[in-house]
Amino acid sequence: MFDASLKDRQPRIDKVQLIAIAGLMFIGAAFIYSATMVNESARMAPLLKQTWFRQVIWYVMGVGGATAICLLDYRIIARWAVIIYWGSILLLILVLIPGIGSTHGWGARRWIDLGFFNLQPSEVAKLAVIIALASFLSRPPDELRQPWNFWKPIGMMLLPFLLILKEPDLGSAIVIFPTGFMMMLVAGTPRKYLIRLVAGGLIMVSVLLVDILFSPPGWWQIKLEDYQKQRLLVYFGVDFAPKNATPEEREKAQKLQRQKSYQVTQALISVGTGGFWGKGWRQGTQTSLAFLPPGAAHNDFIFSVIAEEEGFVGSMIVLTLYGAILFSGIRIAGQARDRLGKLLAAGVVTLLFSHVFVNIGMNIRIVPVTGIPLPLLSYGGSSVLSSLIAMGMLQNVYIYRKGY
Amino acid sequence: MLIFDQLRKNDPYLRFLAVVVLFGLGVLGTGLWWVQIVSARDYQADLDTQSFRTIRTPAIRGRILDRNGATLADNKPTYNVSLYLEELKDQFRKEYSRIRPRKIVTNEPPFWKPWITGSQVRTQTVRISREEYDKLFWTSLSNVASNSIQKISRDLQKPLVFDFTDFKRHYLTRRALPYPVAQRLGPPEIAKFEEKTSGTRGMDLEVQPTRFYPNKTTAAHLLGHLLPSDKLDEGELSAFDYRLPDFRGVIGIEYKFDDVLHGRAGVKQVLVNNLGYRQAENIWSSTEPGDDVVLTIDLEIQKAAERALLSANAPEPKKGAAVVMDVRTGDILAMASIPMFDPNFFVDRKSYPPDYYRQIQTIQAERNRATQDNYRPGSIFKTVVALACLENGLDPNAEYQVQPNPQNPSRGIVYYGRNQSTKDTAAPGPYKFKRALIHSSNAYFIHHGIQPGNLERIIDIGARLHLGESYKLGTRQETSGFFPDQRRIRRGWTVGDTANLCIGQGFIDVTPLQMTVLAAALANGGKVLWPRLVERVVPSNPGGKTIEVPPPGQVRNTLGVSARTLQIVKDAMLADVEDPEGTGRHAFLEGFRICGKTGTAENERGGAIDRSYQTTWFLSFAPYENPRYAMVVMVERGSSGGGTCAPLAKQIYQALMEREQRLAQRGNLAKAN
Repeated sequence: MFDASLKDRQPRIDKVQLIAIAGLMFIGAAFIYSATMVNESARMAPLLKQTWFRQVIWYVMGVGGATAICLLDYRIIARWAVIIYWGSILLLILVLIPGIGSTHGWGARRWIDLGFFNLQPSEVAKLAVIIALASFLSRPPDELRQPWNFWKPIGMMLLPFLLILKEPDLGSAIVIFPTGFMMMLVAGTPRKYLIRLVAGGLIMVSVLLVDILFSPPGWWQIKLEDYQKQRLLVYFGVDFAPKNATPEEREKAQKLQRQKSYQVTQALISVGTGGFWGKGWRQGTQTSLAFLPPGAAHNDFIFSVIAEEEGFVGSMIVLTLYGAILFSGIRIAGQARDRLGKLLAAGVVTLLFSHVFVNIGMNIRIVPVTGIPLPLLSYGGSSVLSSLIAMGMLQNVYIYRKGY
Repeated sequence: MLIFDQLRKNDPYLRFLAVVVLFGLGVLGTGLWWVQIVSARDYQADLDTQSFRTIRTPAIRGRILDRNGATLADNKPTYNVSLYLEELKDQFRKEYSRIRPRKIVTNEPPFWKPWITGSQVRTQTVRISREEYDKLFWTSLSNVASNSIQKISRDLQKPLVFDFTDFKRHYLTRRALPYPVAQRLGPPEIAKFEEKTSGTRGMDLEVQPTRFYPNKTTAAHLLGHLLPSDKLDEGELSAFDYRLPDFRGVIGIEYKFDDVLHGRAGVKQVLVNNLGYRQAENIWSSTEPGDDVVLTIDLEIQKAAERALLSANAPEPKKGAAVVMDVRTGDILAMASIPMFDPNFFVDRKSYPPDYYRQIQTIQAERNRATQDNYRPGSIFKTVVALACLENGLDPNAEYQVQPNPQNPSRGIVYYGRNQSTKDTAAPGPYKFKRALIHSSNAYFIHHGIQPGNLERIIDIGARLHLGESYKLGTRQETSGFFPDQRRIRRGWTVGDTANLCIGQGFIDVTPLQMTVLAAALANGGKVLWPRLVERVVPSNPGGKTIEVPPPGQVRNTLGVSARTLQIVKDAMLADVEDPEGTGRHAFLEGFRICGKTGTAENERGGAIDRSYQTTWFLSFAPYENPRYAMVVMVERGSSGGGTCAPLAKQIYQALMEREQRLAQRGNLAKAN
């Protein structure tokens, strides 16, 4: 892409990615506005209380954070990897303590209430795991042949995974694995280990799924929260009612099933009715009539708002912007000065990709519903900050790339 | 290109990452294409079902007018107070959070919390179970609704009861519609509402057109009545979420012209939110008001006929009918039947005593006795016998000697067949035709009726009058009566049957309307007309499709008798009223020469003739010189045709006379102008 003659004038930052990030932030602010300004009381609220404006503030803070990250060579940051990792583990433990961790009325204890800001430690942990893994895996490939160096990164993933699962926040917990796995692959961990890992993981997951979905009552079942189990049942289309249920039980179970598949159904209706051109900004009925739950529309389901109002065209624009960020991220990984930079970039790309795939996939029923935000578009301080900082890391790797 | 560069990377792992990302984005893109392009229509349908409710709104029913434009059936606005649930939902929520249990927590603030937030005390809602939630939810709804209703009740100074189960049902099934609180407010209540309550959030007045019969019982049978109905208009789609109350005519003109009067219902579409509250409303198809139907009835004559019937000298409950017809056109000017009912009852049951329906049912007030019931005609049928015999050569001046009844020598008797006889109410002695008719001599008419060839002629004239056939009025109130035909005669007929037929007894059943057609035929020179009830249909929008109705003066048949015969009968009928000995003398009206014939038909009850259950008749037309009106008055359980019905006919003729004077005045006025 770059001519040798131009090397002297190589840009210091990846402009394509920056433009894509700016585009996503613009879309994010616009559609959070659309999703939340649905009634009189929302419009009457002071500017500081308006969701879209808060999101803009987070964008500004996130861009600031990312710029700050870029000032520091990623190699210096990586030296703090151990401290960052254990610090995030500490936060994950703290959030589990009632009184420090807050539930916000939901079932899960996922936030630490700092008064002005609800910190979501799992967002921090994801980044921390990438930095720690990159730092660990950046050792010479030969060393990765030792079994110990295979099990150690897996342990580094499992610890935060289990802690996040305890909150519980299955979605955030689970994205750690593809990220870590991709980093191990890129680092050059011997394939036989990885194949075994994948095979073992697949067997375990399928045994668990079969156990959850099909085991008769009374059998040993893996303990999942009710809502998690129901989401899986909804996704796989399994009848809620056991086979030997009485008609009343069956009816009750079906009612529950309808309730539980409500969000997915409404998200699908939003996306589907968008059609090709969409209904136009702020013209979507699914949010204004509150069929898309008002608590979720600007959050995990922001994509259905965009898809409803801007249609297939809008969805494609969003996908293209993410594609630009992801592929420029891969390019950055390829241009990185060292293995550490390449691993960092690959980790960030995989993490972002996992979020995008799972979140959009859940809107169109490709993946089960999990509370995973769409980077930069979903409302939420922690998510915006960590996404922007992750992208700042990409830029960081690019700025300090080889030959510059 | 950015993408392909990454796919061509020499680092196999990054290439793999690029492939995974590209594949993943491809899956999402395909999925979106499938959902947003391929299945878009299915999702649109889902969206429509969950967020739109269609409401069927009935059209304003057409009016029914009399021939002069007076209103017989109209619509009046009724005012209802309703609660608009979507405007109350904030109050519901507030009430819910007010009654929801809370606790105050002061415990275990994190050590650094006070530095930031300061407060250690806060209220927290208590976790509640599903059942508790449901209970609280309904309690909050019930509190808000009953408070609102109490306020309305106070403002209107009218006791209103809040029925929770009713409200709950409405909330669950018809949430997008306003909840009716007080119905049919009177003017003072409307004023109070406008003054005090109007403007209060969630409450408003609703106007609803309701069928209204301003003359109450007048012409109730002819007009018929409405009943609540779910019937759809022709070609109307059936999938409505809600229907506003609609009515359909079930009997009478309201039934016969229901399609015309009803108009076309419109469709409103209501946009609802996820809780089913109304958000917006738009009209898909507007209602088309029904057409007006103009009857041939003259309201004044109708009222006069009803007044006359009600004044009848008969035991309560008085039952009877009167029909007035224009002998030139067949237009029915009045068709009265007593006892009457109030058709308003069927659209507004609440304003009537609870046993109103039972009351009108026990006296069979709903029957239109002018067309719906079979009666023996009795002596009025002698007019037909007279036509037959005269046409067959009876000399009206020939005398017939009526023998005295051995048991009651002051009355006559007639013998026929093998020792059969019929007693007479007239005295024995010599009878010519006119004297026989005005005394209504059974002996005379039986003696001549049973002469060879006369029965056939009677049957023929009856057939030409279409006795035993209905007029296909389409009002669901018609009986065809019974009249023997040749086939019936061949199946077994005795001279006694002929004798009975000659005096309008035995195998004959008629309706007052059929007899009116007979009277008209006698008056107009032998034309058997189609009776006409509807003059025209006036389209609701000018230039709309007009519904054709039969033109006036449609001749169905002729009597097939000579003018001379008719003149003889006419003269005799005039004498029946004008001769001091005539049975119909009580109908005599100064200045209006009436031709009439009385009748008193005997009815059997429990196998024997019951004198207290006779049907009394007065068949007539007038004026003699230039007959314009035919009239039949029938009263059940009267004392006699002459005594009971003739005076009533006189009253009605009086009204007709006044009507003619009015018309003449108007005509003069028109000429003067």
